[in-house]
Amino acid sequence: MSDGKPTQAPGTPPAGMAIPGNRTMPKEDRLTPPVWEGGRAAPPNGDFRMIGKRNRKVEGLAKVTGRAVYADDLVLPRMLHAKLLRSIHAHARIVSIDASAALALPGVHAVVTGADMPTHFGIIPWTEDEQALCTDKVRYVGDAIAAVAADDERTCEEALKLVRVEYEPLPAVTDIETALAHPEWQVNEKAGEGNISKHVRLEFGDVDGALAASDHVVEGDYWYEGSTHAPLEPHCCVAEFDSTGFLTVWSSTQVAHYLHRDLAKVLNLPTQRVRVIQPVVGGGFGGKSEPFSLEFAAAKLSMVTGRPVKILYTREEVFYAHRGRHPMRLRYRTGMTADGAITGTDALVQLDGGAYSSFGLVTTYYSGQLLTAPYALPAYRFDSTRVFTNKPACGPKRGHGSVQPRFAFECQLDKLCEKAGLDPIEVRRRNFIGERTKTVNGMRVTSNGFLECLDAVERESGWAAKFRRMPYGRGIGVAGSMYISGTNYCIYPNEMPQSAVQLRLDRSGRATVMSGCSDIGQGVESVLAYIVCEELGLDLRDVRVVAADTDLTPVDLGAYSSRETFMVGNACLDAARHLRLKIAQTLAERWGVAAGEIVLANGVACASSDPGRFAISVKEAFQWAEARHGTLGSVGWYQSPKLGGEYRGGTIGASPAYSFTAHVAEVECDPETGFVAVKHIWVAHDCGRALNPVTVEGQMEGSAYMGFGEALLETQRYKDAAPGHAFGLHHGPSLLDYRMPTSLDTPELHALIVESVDPEGPYGAKEAGEGPLHPSIPAIANAIHDALGVRCDALPFDPPSVMRLLRAGEARANWERARAQVGGPR
Amino acid sequence: MKTAISTLAVECPKHLKHALTLLHESLATERLTPLAGGTDLFVYLNAGSHRGTRFLDLAPCAELRGIKAIKGRLRIGALETFDRIARHPKMAAWPLLVQAARCVGAAQIQNRGTIGGNIANASPAGDSLPVLLAYDALVHVASVRGERTIPFRELQTGYRQLALEADELIVAVELPEVPAGAKQFFRKVGTRAAQSISKVVFAGVLVPGRGGQWSHVRLAWGSMAPITVRSLRAEAALLAHKPSAQAAAWADVALGEDLVPIDDIRSDAEYRLSAARHVLAQFLRSSHAGFRG
Repeated sequence: MSDGKPTQAPGTPPAGMAIPGNRTMPKEDRLTPPVWEGGRAAPPNGDFRMIGKRNRKVEGLAKVTGRAVYADDLVLPRMLHAKLLRSIHAHARIVSIDASAALALPGVHAVVTGADMPTHFGIIPWTEDEQALCTDKVRYVGDAIAAVAADDERTCEEALKLVRVEYEPLPAVTDIETALAHPEWQVNEKAGEGNISKHVRLEFGDVDGALAASDHVVEGDYWYEGSTHAPLEPHCCVAEFDSTGFLTVWSSTQVAHYLHRDLAKVLNLPTQRVRVIQPVVGGGFGGKSEPFSLEFAAAKLSMVTGRPVKILYTREEVFYAHRGRHPMRLRYRTGMTADGAITGTDALVQLDGGAYSSFGLVTTYYSGQLLTAPYALPAYRFDSTRVFTNKPACGPKRGHGSVQPRFAFECQLDKLCEKAGLDPIEVRRRNFIGERTKTVNGMRVTSNGFLECLDAVERESGWAAKFRRMPYGRGIGVAGSMYISGTNYCIYPNEMPQSAVQLRLDRSGRATVMSGCSDIGQGVESVLAYIVCEELGLDLRDVRVVAADTDLTPVDLGAYSSRETFMVGNACLDAARHLRLKIAQTLAERWGVAAGEIVLANGVACASSDPGRFAISVKEAFQWAEARHGTLGSVGWYQSPKLGGEYRGGTIGASPAYSFTAHVAEVECDPETGFVAVKHIWVAHDCGRALNPVTVEGQMEGSAYMGFGEALLETQRYKDAAPGHAFGLHHGPSLLDYRMPTSLDTPELHALIVESVDPEGPYGAKEAGEGPLHPSIPAIANAIHDALGVRCDALPFDPPSVMRLLRAGEARANWERARAQVGGPR
Repeated sequence: MKTAISTLAVECPKHLKHALTLLHESLATERLTPLAGGTDLFVYLNAGSHRGTRFLDLAPCAELRGIKAIKGRLRIGALETFDRIARHPKMAAWPLLVQAARCVGAAQIQNRGTIGGNIANASPAGDSLPVLLAYDALVHVASVRGERTIPFRELQTGYRQLALEADELIVAVELPEVPAGAKQFFRKVGTRAAQSISKVVFAGVLVPGRGGQWSHVRLAWGSMAPITVRSLRAEAALLAHKPSAQAAAWADVALGEDLVPIDDIRSDAEYRLSAARHVLAQFLRSSHAGFRG
């Protein structure tokens, strides 16, 4: 496209939001990954020897012995520390900033403000509405205004007290209603109109007709309060601008590549003179998937002082950095036939986005687009509006955008089942969308193991003996979901690979994998090592992974939207297989056997026809191959096929493969105190193929745990105005008052792996890190209904809320009625 | 999180008497803040809400340790940790304190946190404090002027305020003998099972007299008022009555007048009161099987 006009290629902005100079390649030139004989799912050497086994994680030992090096462990010679000055107002104009007294304090080396780097940035190129430090306005309590570099943190804190900021307070918008009612109190000037951050309305099929023709229609209002990620490691970075004008930034980020681009942009440096390194990261969950003030501020302060600068956020600041789950108000109308077939769904969704866009454009689409499986929806409409408010920006948290609508929809289904007198698992089976199909909004579904997931949770939980059969106060509930394995577009439009790997074999018998991928604990570095071991017959110790260093590794887009295993795993499989073929050909020539006979396994290379005669060590095989072909190296890359619906926004939500999950939760409730104890969650998840069952189970349990915490405990609230503080102060920005469940609160989690073997995933694998979170919340809500006869439509289901529901309605009578449907013990 | 605390000074006394002298002398300049387990103090320091820079480390004072039974009464040194209290064999006759000790923070906090510190911190949510009220505990304090004993009930004077002189240290807690046949009950209603600050803490003691009437009633509450309180009207509703649904109902009504809980970030007043009533009902049910169906 030489005229620079946007096309319908993946990553194309919604109409009217084109990026100047965006040139997309002609469709037919799009990269296509190689096709391997036998497919990607098959083992390369006969049987799987590494894949599917309970292997250790490559970085596990360093972590458990305290030797892993996180960003805050880095200490450079002459390093300064820096801290940020944060707003005490939710919404105010900055009249003036006077840092002279701070600069005069002994030990202070520099102060920078927004004026030093005013360029706007943002993770989504169409909504660049953030500044490293605010120049003219602050938009939430905690918004960053200035940064001070000093000899130590204590001096920084003293200096921050000396920075005088003159504010002109503005009316604060702290909820969706106010944001819509007062467009004149504009939070974010980059909004198209008023406080609207993004509006999406899409309709597929005749929704009104479908609902009118339904035997049962349920309408419900739901409230999802929102939550934050709370990774164990707070955000931290070290920046060093050296004497040659080269900037290196070590940061606890999930997206080294995007950070690389934005650092260059905001600091006005050539991209090739910036290096980003991701040290070991102590958890992200989506909370580190875009650039933050600290990285820009540390870099700028290093440029000003000529010394390395470190910034470590306090736990309180992590709450202000946020980018957590959006509060959503959801209204659903869902229809069903008498025999349990879903007819149509009409959704009205409002998202409370906080002060900035973050990933909000995508979140707004995801709040509707990701609901269209595992059930066939013949007709579907959603209307989603994201608003700006004077609170920390919301963004992607594990299960980005789709956890909230999934909660509402699965509760809707439970209510419909109750109305129709049908078993909720049976109804979910009846509406199964199938495999190798398309959703109503045009998403391609390949493998689909949802039925096996339902079977597994039904069987393992003892569903038939429990549902509607336990005494008052005890209950069981089910829910299902689907999620993406990466998206088919890059966040900025381009046709280059989404993932890449460079693989090097050494004559010592070692392989080194280099990739820009981001291991945030989910284990992608281990996945790469397993794949190389599987292809080349190496021991896990003999594979080194070098990751997320923009000087050393090819680009990978980072750890978000559950893309790493699928995309970089495929890239790695290709790189390793190219070298495997080279080695096999070398050996086949020397031995006079067919290349197809060569097996590389357990450190030995042999010909399967006569392994007694034709066998050498893999190390020797590497040497033979190097002698025959020269230095051994290869590349692999992944680019997803062109996917998605042929309509505006139709690529958002399109993924090369979808994972599927079913949960059954069992609860014990105290009707006197409203206390809900979740005793068990059975989690069945279709991850395609579990490359390492231990880490897949870990992801499943961790996801279910996180959803459970959001359902019952975590409260993300902001205070009203009171003496001593204005609107919009976080209610408890600490791990004491932001109550995540402890191990004592956590139910027994039963991880049940389902393997549908996807045709396009590496060895058939799909995602496992986010999908298994979704059904936790509705499964618990539905279990509470089975236990108490009340419907928890608003999060969190804390004791006061449950008590209010018990007092408000005829809980016991509802419970008896639901029970009577089943018709006595089976 | 402050990484450098080098501007702080810690005095290390040789023994209690030395500690008391140091504390007394410090009043002339900056008062030394006594430091025991540090589980509260470190939080305040990190949050920047503790302004003091000088501390008195109590760890060397052996006189502040030890759990001893003397003629049916129990003396617990102020430096005894909740973990030690929960594990001590002599504690069997005062089970409520063992239960409370097991509810404080989590294992790490119980290993560091001391009973003296819990009293000195004087939080209305202190987990062990309702137990001290319910047991009619006495608190031994000392200064350069000598020792004195204050009933715990009189020690608390207001929100985070104690009837202590600035140079006095809490030395020990004394628990009287619990009357024979007493029904005892402890319950902490928190948001989560550990690392939780309570919404309601309750400790209750009921002693049936001859003829079956309650002859001794203690109902003590944490997190319901600026200080730990006894619900005196509810106690009166039970005292000298036989266990009955009627008495329980009176106590329930009286409790609503006794307790005027606060709204804060951890709970709202309405829920606190409703939870308190359920806790009391639970205690009364468990104390007498025939109370309610």
